[in-house]
Parts: sequence; C-alpha cells; structure tokens
Amino acid sequence: MKKTESGKTLTARLRSSRLLIPLASIVLTFAVLTIVFVAIGRNPFAAIYSFFQGSGLGMKPSYSKSSSMLTDFLSYLGILSPMLLGSLGVVVGLRGGLFNIGVSGQMLTAGFLATILVGYSKLPPPLSIPLVLLIGLLAGAALGAMIGWLKYRFNVHEVVSSIMFNYIVSFLTGYFIKTKYVDPIIRSSRQVAANARLHIIFKTASGLKLVIPVSIFIAVAMAFLIRFYLERMSGGFEIRMVGFNREGAAYAGVPIRNVMIRTMLISGALAGLAGVTYYLGYYSTMVPKDLPSLGYDAIAVALLGNLGPVSCILSSALITIFQKGAVYMSSATGVVREIASLVTGILLLFSSLGVSMRERSRHYD
Amino acid sequence: MIDKIIIDGLAFSLPLFAMAIGGIFSEKSGITMLALEGIQGFGAFCGAVAFAYLQPVIRGGTQVIVYPVLFAAMLGGMIFALLHAYMSIRFRINQVISGVVVNILAMSLTIFLTGLINEGLTGEPSNKIWLGAAPRFSVPGISRIPVIGAIFRDLYIFAPFIVVFAVVSAILIYKTRFGLRLRACGENPESVEAAGCSVKRIRYLALVICGLLTGLGGMNFAFAFSANFSPTIYMGYGYLAIAALICGNWDIRRTLLTCLIFGFARSGGYQLILKLGMSSDVSDLLLMIPYVLTLLLLLFFSRHNHPPSALGSDYEYDRR
Repeated sequence: MKKTESGKTLTARLRSSRLLIPLASIVLTFAVLTIVFVAIGRNPFAAIYSFFQGSGLGMKPSYSKSSSMLTDFLSYLGILSPMLLGSLGVVVGLRGGLFNIGVSGQMLTAGFLATILVGYSKLPPPLSIPLVLLIGLLAGAALGAMIGWLKYRFNVHEVVSSIMFNYIVSFLTGYFIKTKYVDPIIRSSRQVAANARLHIIFKTASGLKLVIPVSIFIAVAMAFLIRFYLERMSGGFEIRMVGFNREGAAYAGVPIRNVMIRTMLISGALAGLAGVTYYLGYYSTMVPKDLPSLGYDAIAVALLGNLGPVSCILSSALITIFQKGAVYMSSATGVVREIASLVTGILLLFSSLGVSMRERSRHYD
Repeated sequence: MIDKIIIDGLAFSLPLFAMAIGGIFSEKSGITMLALEGIQGFGAFCGAVAFAYLQPVIRGGTQVIVYPVLFAAMLGGMIFALLHAYMSIRFRINQVISGVVVNILAMSLTIFLTGLINEGLTGEPSNKIWLGAAPRFSVPGISRIPVIGAIFRDLYIFAPFIVVFAVVSAILIYKTRFGLRLRACGENPESVEAAGCSVKRIRYLALVICGLLTGLGGMNFAFAFSANFSPTIYMGYGYLAIAALICGNWDIRRTLLTCLIFGFARSGGYQLILKLGMSSDVSDLLLMIPYVLTLLLLLFFSRHNHPPSALGSDYEYDRR
C-alpha cells in the first residue's frame, strides 16, 4: 500500500496504535453479544449490565445481610489475580516463541501440592502464606521447565507435551484426591485450613465480611516485574531474541537451550502462582479430575493484552468481568453460564485477527 | 478376554485413526492442525443435533438415523475446519494460535448451544444431548474364527466408513496428482505455484477433507463412549490424534500402528483392572495410560521425525 500525501495509511495507523486493535475487538465482541442476547429474546443492555453487577462493578437490586457491592468486588479481585498471573505465564512463553497451553496443568499441580503439604497443616499465617506461594512457584516452575527441556532435548512440540501433562496431572491428582483427601459430602478435597488461605478477613461493624485477597497485590506486582524483566534486563532480552528468531539468536551467541528452559520455567512458575491463588485463595477445595478452564482463558487475556505484561492487567480485568459476572447474569436472565466462555472465545477470535492484521501491515511500506 | 481387548481396542483406535488421517491431510499441506479437538467436538455436536431433531421424524430407529447424523457430523467438522483454514490462510494468523482459538470457540459454542437447544426441546437446560447406543454389527462367517475373528465382531457402523476413507486417503495422498501437489504444498509451496497450481486452493481442499474425517471421528467417539453429546467429548481425543500422527511420522500406515497401540493399551488396561477386581478409582489411573504412552512415544520418535518442511508457514505468492 502506498503512503498518501495527506498522512498515514490505514495500515500504518493500525500499526502505530497499540490501543486500536484491543478496542476494536472489545467493541465487536459487545456487538456480537448484543446480537446473541436479542436473538434469544433477552434485553441486551440489562443482560450485559448484569455481568458488571455480578462482578461488584454495578449495584444489584438487593443484597443479603453479609454482602454488598464491596464484597462482590473483593471476590472479583480474588478471581482476577489467578487470571492475571496465568496470562503473564502465557505472555512470557509466547514472547519466547513457546506456547504454554499447559497453564491449567501447572495450576493443578501447584494447587494440589500446596493443599496437601500446607493446606492441612496448622502453621500460622506468617509462615504458611509464604510457604504456599513458594510451593506454587516451585511446582509450576518444575513442570514448566520439564516441558521446555523436552522441547529442546527431544524436539517434542511444547503444545502436545503440555496437553499430555495436563491430562496426566488431572487424572493423577484426581486419583489421590478421591482416595486420600476426599470430603465425602462435597465430593471434592477437604477444605484447606483458614490460616493457609491467601486472604485477610475483616469484619466490619455493620456485619459485612470483607475478604481481602492478598494475591491481587502479588499479581499486579508480578505484571510490572515481568515487564521490567522482559524489557529492561538481559535475560528477558534473550527470551525475546529467541522468540523473534531462533536461528538468529543462536548465531548471536544466545544459549538456546538455557533460554528455552528458562522461558518455560518462568512461565510455569507464574502459572503455579496462579494455581495456589486459585485453589488456596479464591477456592479452598479441589474438584477431582477438573482442569481449570481459567488456564485457557488466560490465553485469550494474553492475546487481548497484545502480549504486554502490564496491558494484561486491563485485559484480565475485562475477561474476568464476564467469567465472574456470568453466575449472577445467569440467575438474573436465565441464560446459561457458558455464554461467558463464548464471549472469551469471540474476543480471542477478534483479537487474534487484529494481531494478524497488524503483522501483515508490517510487510507493506 | 483377548476378544474383548481387540473389540474395545479397535473401537477406540479407529475413530482416533480417522481424526489422525484428517490431521495428516492438513499438515501435509502445510497447515499446522491443533484444532482437531474443536473440530471433532463441533462435528459430534452437529451430529447430535441432527439426531435430536430427526429422531421423532424418521422411523426405523438408530439403524437408519445414523446415516444422516453421520453426514451432519462431517458437515459440521468441515465448517469448523474451514474456519481454521480461513484464519490461517486468508488472515495468516499464527496457525498454532488459530488452532487454539478454534478449540476454545468450538467448546464454548457447542456447550452454549446445547443448553439452548435442550431448553427448546425439553424445557430445561441440560448440557447433554442423548444419543443412545450406536448400532453394531459382525461380519458373518469370519467373525467366528477364534481370536482373529474378534477383529470383525461387534464393529461400530462407523468402522467400514473409516476403513474405506483410510484406503481412499492413502491412495489420494501417495498415488494421485492431487496428492503429489498436496505434499508439495507442505514441503515447498513455491514449486507448486511455479507449476501453475494454487497453493491456497489445495490447502483449503485439504482442510475440507480434514474436517470431514475429523467430524466422522468425533461422532464415533460421542456415540461409542458416552452415548450422548456432552462436554465430556472434549477429553483430548483430538490431541491424542495429533500425537499419533507425529509418532507416525505423518505417514498413514505408521499412524495406524500408533493408533492401534493407543487403543490396545487402553482396552488392555481396562481388562486388567476388571480381572484384578480393583476399584473404580484405580480406573482413573488407567485412563492416564494413553497420555503417558503418547508422551513416551513422542520422546523416542520426535527426534528422527521429518515434519513437512513448510509446516506452519503462511504462504503468500507475491512475497519475496
């Protein structure tokens, strides 16, 4: 495409603007969502607003005695943090040219190990909380590094191996939960002790129970930390080099093996953190043989955030509104909850189309 | 017991094989195919919907309905394969990402629509569409032979389709002009364009065939292993098929071999559990076997494999 005299061409503008693609994807998704709601005979504006109400970003018509908009919002933050951490894991992987689709499996491993090692002990919070986080980091990192090593050493495609690990981990932990740690009434693992959970509880004078998730601070700090690492440190630069052009990086003397394993190690560690904040923060039990779909939503978050760690804060906030608000939306409008995943899928479709359009525009001018 | 292992093993291997052939078509033409999981699920969903709507209309029971249902499943598979094709050929999205997009979209769309359709049909949103047992048959005569005869006993109605498709596919890929061009698209797309053929058209065609076979496999899985369409269809069969074709070095005969290994490992494990009289919790551990086996096979075979050289590359004829 030729550049016109008057200014930039459309493709040039697409490339220069970092906000255009995410914004366009969001607008298009809301348009599709409106059409879907109209097609099944619901008021689209009320239905879309109910997602926000369910996430504590809009007033519900009525609240029970122990809840308010604030408690809803805190609960929203509680599920936002694993989403953000998981997407950061995907971002680090993709920046290094590796697609970590095993976030779910790494979350499950980390959550399971932290649950059985710390969750059922009687350690005081100052000891148990760092321990839970450490176990999460290590378990996720180990599984991630394993995938990276298999890729380098045996040329096993990381997508296939991490999916195999997902299923293996889900069956394995499911077996142990069912035989050793099961609560016969709820048919999932026994609840973890309150002092091992990653939140602080305040009770206000008016009877509200405020559950403040510790994990949200960790998650946001991680987003900035990862940005600093990727953009400003030599280790992160190597990761980006390998992701951009593996042969070129090797020619420039980057140790490919180390970098590939390191990429997956960091990615897995972040996924592991997501796992403990999910299973010992937002939830307190584990359903056997249940891979968290959050691990797949994290991919959508990462792509919507243009693979930028800090922009992932915004994109995870958006996708979590749909995932979290779906429960209330479902009860308010009677539409099945799975529409949240559909929204995520559509958002992912549009944002990946947008990313491809931007990359194509690079071939011209 | 050996009979049972053979019968159940084949019942698992054949649909897996159908999906793996679909994957071979796609990957041989140079399109990375991680979308098998979503395509088979959407195919099975379309088949199940056809079943739900045809059952009150057509008389003759499952024996008759199964053919239009199969057709719907293949059509559904084709639609979603074309989505992947459109995204990776027209929009040139990274094919790995496009595959995952297709998977997520298929999963959420089918679950959402299942709820809607059930609400319309029965009044309550359930996430299952009931299918009932698939018709089975035995080949008269040879199925009486001890041990080997088990291969021809209690076959699903889908089995002859899969066998025919497999033979046709093998001829198509290795013996015809189209097959030569298809393979060239995956190895050296420039040469195809130089010979005056359209790379894009061949890739679209390859993906249509892929969707057809994968939809067939998905329908077979839905019928044979759960007797309904529900979210459990997303058990990772599609990824197993991908692993099978990688272990099989993108070759139809070797892929058949790995599919058979998966199937027999699975059914053998089940029979072992039954024989030893272990609890159902342990059977979960056995469900793990195909996945562990896949990983081990990949370790041994991935290094000496030769994937199509242009696999995953987007091809633009005017790019220099």
